[in-house]
Amino acid sequence: MSSKNKTYNRKKVVALFFFCMAAFFLLFIRLIDLMIFQSAYYTDKSVQLHERERSIKAARGRILDRNGVVLADNKTVCTISVIHSQLEDQEAVIAFLCEKLELSEEFVRKRVEKVSSMERIRSNVPKELGDEIREADLPGVKVDEDYKRYYPYDALASKVLGFTGGDNQGIIGLEVIYDEYLSGEEGEILTLTDAAGVEIEAASEHRREPVPGNDLVLSLDYNIQSYATQLAKQVMATKEADRVSLIVMNPKNGEIMAMVDVPEFNLNEPYTLTPEYEALRAKEEARKQAALEAKAAKEAEAGDEEVKEAEEKSEEELKQEKLNGMWRNGCINDTYEPGSTFKVITAAAALESGCVALSDTFSCPGFIVVDDRRIRCHKAGGHGAEDFTAGICNSCNPVFVTLGLRIGASRYYDCLKQFGLLEKTGVDLPGEAGTIMHRKDAIGNVELATMSFGQSFQITPLQLATTVSSLVNGGRRITPHLAVEAVDAEGKRLESFEKEAGRQIVSPETSETLQMLLEKVVSEGGGSKAQIEGYKIGGKTATSQTLPRGSGRYIASFVGFSPADDPEVLALVVIHSPQGTYYGGQIAAPVIRQLFENVLPYLEK
Amino acid sequence: MATRFRTVQGGRRQSNNEAYFDYSLLFTVLFLIGFGLMMIYSSSSYKANLDYEDSAFFLKKQLTAALLGIVCMVVVSRIPYHFWERLVVPAYITSVILILLVKTPLGITSHGATRWIRIWKFSLQPAEVAKLCMIIFLACLVCKMGKQIRVMKGLIALMIPPGIIAVMVWRITKNMSSAIIILGIAMLMIFVASPDYKRFIIMAVLGIVGVALIVFAIVKMAESPEMMEKLEFRGLRILAWLNPEAYADDKGFQPLQALYAIGSGGIFGKGLGESIQKLGFLPEAQNDMIFSIICEELGLFGAMAVMLLFLLLIWRCMIIANNAPDLFGALLVVGVMGHLAIQVILNIAVCTNVIPNTGISLPFISYGGSSVMFLLVEIGIVLNVGRSIRLKDL
Repeated sequence: MSSKNKTYNRKKVVALFFFCMAAFFLLFIRLIDLMIFQSAYYTDKSVQLHERERSIKAARGRILDRNGVVLADNKTVCTISVIHSQLEDQEAVIAFLCEKLELSEEFVRKRVEKVSSMERIRSNVPKELGDEIREADLPGVKVDEDYKRYYPYDALASKVLGFTGGDNQGIIGLEVIYDEYLSGEEGEILTLTDAAGVEIEAASEHRREPVPGNDLVLSLDYNIQSYATQLAKQVMATKEADRVSLIVMNPKNGEIMAMVDVPEFNLNEPYTLTPEYEALRAKEEARKQAALEAKAAKEAEAGDEEVKEAEEKSEEELKQEKLNGMWRNGCINDTYEPGSTFKVITAAAALESGCVALSDTFSCPGFIVVDDRRIRCHKAGGHGAEDFTAGICNSCNPVFVTLGLRIGASRYYDCLKQFGLLEKTGVDLPGEAGTIMHRKDAIGNVELATMSFGQSFQITPLQLATTVSSLVNGGRRITPHLAVEAVDAEGKRLESFEKEAGRQIVSPETSETLQMLLEKVVSEGGGSKAQIEGYKIGGKTATSQTLPRGSGRYIASFVGFSPADDPEVLALVVIHSPQGTYYGGQIAAPVIRQLFENVLPYLEK
Repeated sequence: MATRFRTVQGGRRQSNNEAYFDYSLLFTVLFLIGFGLMMIYSSSSYKANLDYEDSAFFLKKQLTAALLGIVCMVVVSRIPYHFWERLVVPAYITSVILILLVKTPLGITSHGATRWIRIWKFSLQPAEVAKLCMIIFLACLVCKMGKQIRVMKGLIALMIPPGIIAVMVWRITKNMSSAIIILGIAMLMIFVASPDYKRFIIMAVLGIVGVALIVFAIVKMAESPEMMEKLEFRGLRILAWLNPEAYADDKGFQPLQALYAIGSGGIFGKGLGESIQKLGFLPEAQNDMIFSIICEELGLFGAMAVMLLFLLLIWRCMIIANNAPDLFGALLVVGVMGHLAIQVILNIAVCTNVIPNTGISLPFISYGGSSVMFLLVEIGIVLNVGRSIRLKDL
């Protein structure tokens, strides 16, 4: 027997026990903290870890023309993702996906190697390719089907419709403006998974069904749009023009039936630069270069040797800039000097303010002197004595300068404001450009004179078409628009986008007079090439110089409407930089005639 | 007289000279083993099914070890504990040899560390043997030393043999947690054996200050990137301990997953078998981290019940130690008591991220054959010490 157990030993064992109890107690406090006070936090975190959320794309609403022709639709495509924890052979997956999806190894590797529950590699993969990848049956590679936007007519109305991005969001055009109606609501599946990402079968699955987007019905007419596009392309080709914009609208309610701005682009491949646009771009670059060289030569003469540093842009920036240029809708995103078509507005202002009567006579010696400037009429010898009707038929500059001066700067400016010219039209397309106009107090006689025949300021083609529409439709300002209504899958109307005609901007009498005058322009004056037998057509031609002046380039345009006494349709064509004959009456008016020859009988049906 | 003693203990006896047997201890241990088997099945069946296509894979292995251990326990509880005194030197040598065997082809490497040796068809963790041997060895040494223990020299002399074993376990089997446990058991036994308090309090304070300084140094080092690279994984473990969410992909992963499990358990738990963290999220769910799964499935109340059972176990050890007929018996029981207490406290502390992550199993519950077998042998010794209590001594 060894030594006996002593009292101090027993005390120490008891001390030991209480020490353990204290430790247990402290740990229990910690457990209370974790399992009661921090329980919500950790539960939340673990749920995030365990639940896998898979979104189900909602089918985007279609875009239909006024007769139900589908202009934008959806087709099934695949999304390729990788579930990291299920990967077996990472390298094989990387190599396989690089090859199939034509992506850089670096890009794929970064995503495959990322430790996340699910990493998207690429979306909008064609269904056939998706099926191929699915059949390869690589562990960890997941193929989900969803929808992709599809435009059956490729380039038709490309700049109007716009396209969507990878996340089903509108990028340009109507797809942007009506995104909330079209996009619908994504659904989602919430499933519990184990650490390997394998869904646990016994666990309940929460599923929220996607809500498909609503269809959008446009006032655009597929037939008119196609024909207008064809005409625009034709005139662009024959006149070797840079661009051609063509707008067809209903002057009574502002519904746009066609809006063309060639060259257009393929909506199904919006990131591919079209050869037409590349050619246009090259032309512009060459002009810019020539201008720069001329300037440099001048400066060199002046002894001013400044080395012009070429702006260095990265490939990507340049590509994006080019794409933005290609996507621009010249009808609303760009402004131009309207030229003589603006005489319609000056005439309306003069009639409305009582500064002119149809019986007034004018004399045109071929020029008019305003302050110290001599402003020439386009007819070198002058039009001689003429009444107001003849003045507008001849598109005589001195007549309109006289009118402008009679009205006076302040009143003229107020008229422009009254006509709605100083605001945006409010069209339902993104990026509408505003009017570029002199400040009211900066309008001197010379400015007023040039403004009265459509120079020294800029507006968009759509603004001109809208204002002329409003002046000849009985005098009510309209809001141009493309969308008519949003309908659900059953075709039930959910919301109407029709626009009421707005305020009265000129009296019905003035409007009537304008109808008559503009009909004369076509039947007797400069717009005779727009005449069609059996139809009353009103219109006005314009030929303006491209800015900066002296470039030798012109813009030929024509605005026409029919029937002249009760307009149902109004069309504006703007031809930028045509080669050869550049007069609006010669080259623009025939475009509208051809258009109306087909559209008028079509609309009567 | 007998009536008076009957109120003192829950033990069964018929007369004053009848042997005492601590059934409460026995049943608590058996219950813990049964509960442990259930929790091992719950926490490992999913992974076992995936990895071995047998959901009871871990359960079967543990059951075998537990049954074998129970047989050993019964046998050992029949061997008078003074028998072990004779085996002290061979036991010490055996543990040294077993540890060295790890370096021979008998060693088994798993989880990147060589901690096991293969003997015939069984794998054995020398550290578990060393713990048992150390308890017997120290108990004997203290008794031999007599009054020497009262002087500093004696204390230091006592620390040398366990110190050697601890260093060997640490350096050779790369098992720092077992080394700490061996040292801890030795410290507790010496604490009980020595009449002194002051020295131990000073040592404890110095120890705490030392640990705090090391942690502080590591945190400071982590602030500069070049020093950060020098931090080995133990250093990273400290950083991950302080902020597991910042190291969630690395060393903080396991502690964080354990916290998710415990926190998401709440007061009443998700229900037996309903843990999600065991589905591969929490590494070593059936092993060192099994307490987290208990918390997740059985909630705060389940965790409390388990802790109370362990406290009951420690309490029974205390009673037996204090009634042991001699110091040797008492110290044997204290060693086992310290072993249990240290492992339970450290294991729960690791699971709740109170201390840095290190591999310590939960006695009787965690998966691990060597551990449960040797623990049962230790319980056998305690039971035998209990048997030797003569009721007339009480």
